[in-house]
Amino acid sequence: MYVLEVKELTKSFGKIKAVDHISFTVPEGSVFGLIGRNGAGKTTTIRMMMNIYLPDSGEVILRGTKIGQEFKDKAGYLPEERGLYKKMKVWDTLLYFAELKGKTGREIEKKANYYLKKFELFDRKNSKLEDLSKGNQQKIQFITTILHDPEFLILDEPFSGLDPINTDLLKEIILELKSQGKIIILCTHLMDFAERLCDHIALIEKGKIILHGSLSEIKTRFAKKNILISCEEDLMFLKDLGIVDSVMDNGNEKSIKLKNGGEPQELLRQLIQKNIIIKKFAADEISLHEIFIEATGEDKRLNTEGANV
Amino acid sequence: MFNKRTLAVMKRELKNRLLSRTFILMTLLIPLFIFGILAFQTYVMTYEGNEKTNLVLVTEQKSLTEKVNSEFDSLSFVKTGQISVLYKTMDSISFSRYLDENKKSILEDQISGVIYIPNNSLINKKIEYYSKNPKNNLLFEKLKAPLNNVLLQVYFANKKLTADEISYVREKLDFNEFRVSTDKKIEEEGMGNTIVSFLFSFLLYFSLIFTGTMMMRAVVEEKNNKIVEVLLSSVNSNELMTGKIIGTSITGVLQMAIWMLPLMVVISTSYFALPPEYSITLSMGQILYFLFNFFIALITFMGMFASVGAIFDNDQDAQSGVWPLMIIIMIPFFIAMGMQGNPDNNLVKVGSMFPFASLIIMPARMSLIDVPLWQMLISIIVNIATLLIIFPISGKIYRVGILMTGKKPKWGEVVKWLKYKY
Repeated sequence: MYVLEVKELTKSFGKIKAVDHISFTVPEGSVFGLIGRNGAGKTTTIRMMMNIYLPDSGEVILRGTKIGQEFKDKAGYLPEERGLYKKMKVWDTLLYFAELKGKTGREIEKKANYYLKKFELFDRKNSKLEDLSKGNQQKIQFITTILHDPEFLILDEPFSGLDPINTDLLKEIILELKSQGKIIILCTHLMDFAERLCDHIALIEKGKIILHGSLSEIKTRFAKKNILISCEEDLMFLKDLGIVDSVMDNGNEKSIKLKNGGEPQELLRQLIQKNIIIKKFAADEISLHEIFIEATGEDKRLNTEGANV
Repeated sequence: MFNKRTLAVMKRELKNRLLSRTFILMTLLIPLFIFGILAFQTYVMTYEGNEKTNLVLVTEQKSLTEKVNSEFDSLSFVKTGQISVLYKTMDSISFSRYLDENKKSILEDQISGVIYIPNNSLINKKIEYYSKNPKNNLLFEKLKAPLNNVLLQVYFANKKLTADEISYVREKLDFNEFRVSTDKKIEEEGMGNTIVSFLFSFLLYFSLIFTGTMMMRAVVEEKNNKIVEVLLSSVNSNELMTGKIIGTSITGVLQMAIWMLPLMVVISTSYFALPPEYSITLSMGQILYFLFNFFIALITFMGMFASVGAIFDNDQDAQSGVWPLMIIIMIPFFIAMGMQGNPDNNLVKVGSMFPFASLIIMPARMSLIDVPLWQMLISIIVNIATLLIIFPISGKIYRVGILMTGKKPKWGEVVKWLKYKY
């Protein structure tokens, strides 16, 4: 069952097509990753989902009806570029953003106190935001995103600028929210995080979706074709095999790409027949990072972006 | 458009502004500032310096010299020594020699000036003044009346007139101004309403520019700090802008009402009897109209200031891009200030019913004369129509601009925004 359906969303700015007929679906109870490089169209897509931009064409369907204010009230959005009123006090900020979502009263105050304690900021509740460190400001921003108990959480690059300890804290809370049944949409260019947190992904590149589905399904789809073998012998003879597309020799490790329909099992049988001593045979080790590279067909640029995780 | 989210934005805006130090300070300081400016202007215009003025007064007859001397001796500024006068009697030939001899003293300011009263002045009333600085109007204002007195005395001395007749001749002509209006009895008009009209124009001008600039800066801050994207994930841009503008406008009107309080007390009670030359002919209705007009002006202009704020992403660009707004506030302001000469000329008439200008000119005009009802109605209709047309346009520019980043847009591009689908 899909909770959100994005259908043929398109948005241009002048002559630039930022988002070009994008469609994907978000299943109930999932952590959904919208993955792509900077400038691929993630934020524009999210803004259309949040009703901040009107799409040129296409629509977003929430459980059968077109999204509107109802979705805004139910969603918590942490934009990539964050901002809060610098002169406003922490406490006032939290209550104000909750009020904008239509939530006021004792319940919200109790929750605000709970989260402030959890993020170790309880003693700063009467400080002005400008007096807080950048990291602490980010924590407050995150609290404003989840304080109204949203059903949907849209997090655009949530980890940028956080130190490792706070990154872990945030990850823990995301997983906790997931276990509470919240639907989380995670926008990121960090494949590593996406791989660990998401169960469904959509890869977006130059305004188009190039890959979309459950992560495990995608992984099996791609893993079938890539095999990593550790052995000392020369494996170049495999090239002549009908099921092999290419062989790359990296010294002790060889990476073999199978043609469509080629089964890893068949390859293994061939190797054993040739009496090759295999130290390691891995058919499922492809990372999201590699999938991305393969899907976009662009090698070097992504390496530099994805590498510094 | 108006719902609980708008209300939340409005509440924050109100709380933020009403409790801010700037608001309290400005509410107290602006009236002081205005009266300060008035006082300073008066002071500068009447300032003559502390320097002593040394005059030489020359006539051609001993008797005339003595008469002037005794008349001058009774004058306060002669008594205090602020002006000292040396009296001489000589004919025209020796006078021109005297001038030549004393040229150096005049140029070196030992003699501030020489007043020469020729015999001819008893026929043509022309006297001469010789000085390095001959355009000393303040001095002439002081000396004209006493010198005229002396000349009249001498002139009428052998014409057998009674003292009463002479004193009538001496009297200056004076216009007493009466305002004729439909609903009130004819009343003598003093300076009071001129001051009120000045006050109305100045307060409108100052508040619009001040509140507008604050509004613009707040929008720039939200855009610059990227708060706006967070806000827009909860509210839509119309709700955001409406909430901000209404919050700001209520604050503005509240401040104006505080400033109007003393005026309301003065016109509605008799505790503060104003001297007749400062009496004010103003009804409570006119003050309420002024506040209503100000509220409409605020909403109209705050929308435009907000949209200018949304176009730019830093204060400096916004400050230099706000000139079109400044012009449509300043030109009506100058017309309103210059209106005191004749508040019923055609420029003022048209201006008081022209979009934008009427917001500033009409209040000043109605405090000076009785504006016909139909003109008031046109002014109100024009104001509301302007608001209804300009507000959606401002809203559109605001909506597009607020999420636009990157290089500073040109005016042409901003016009194109109006066609964007947002």
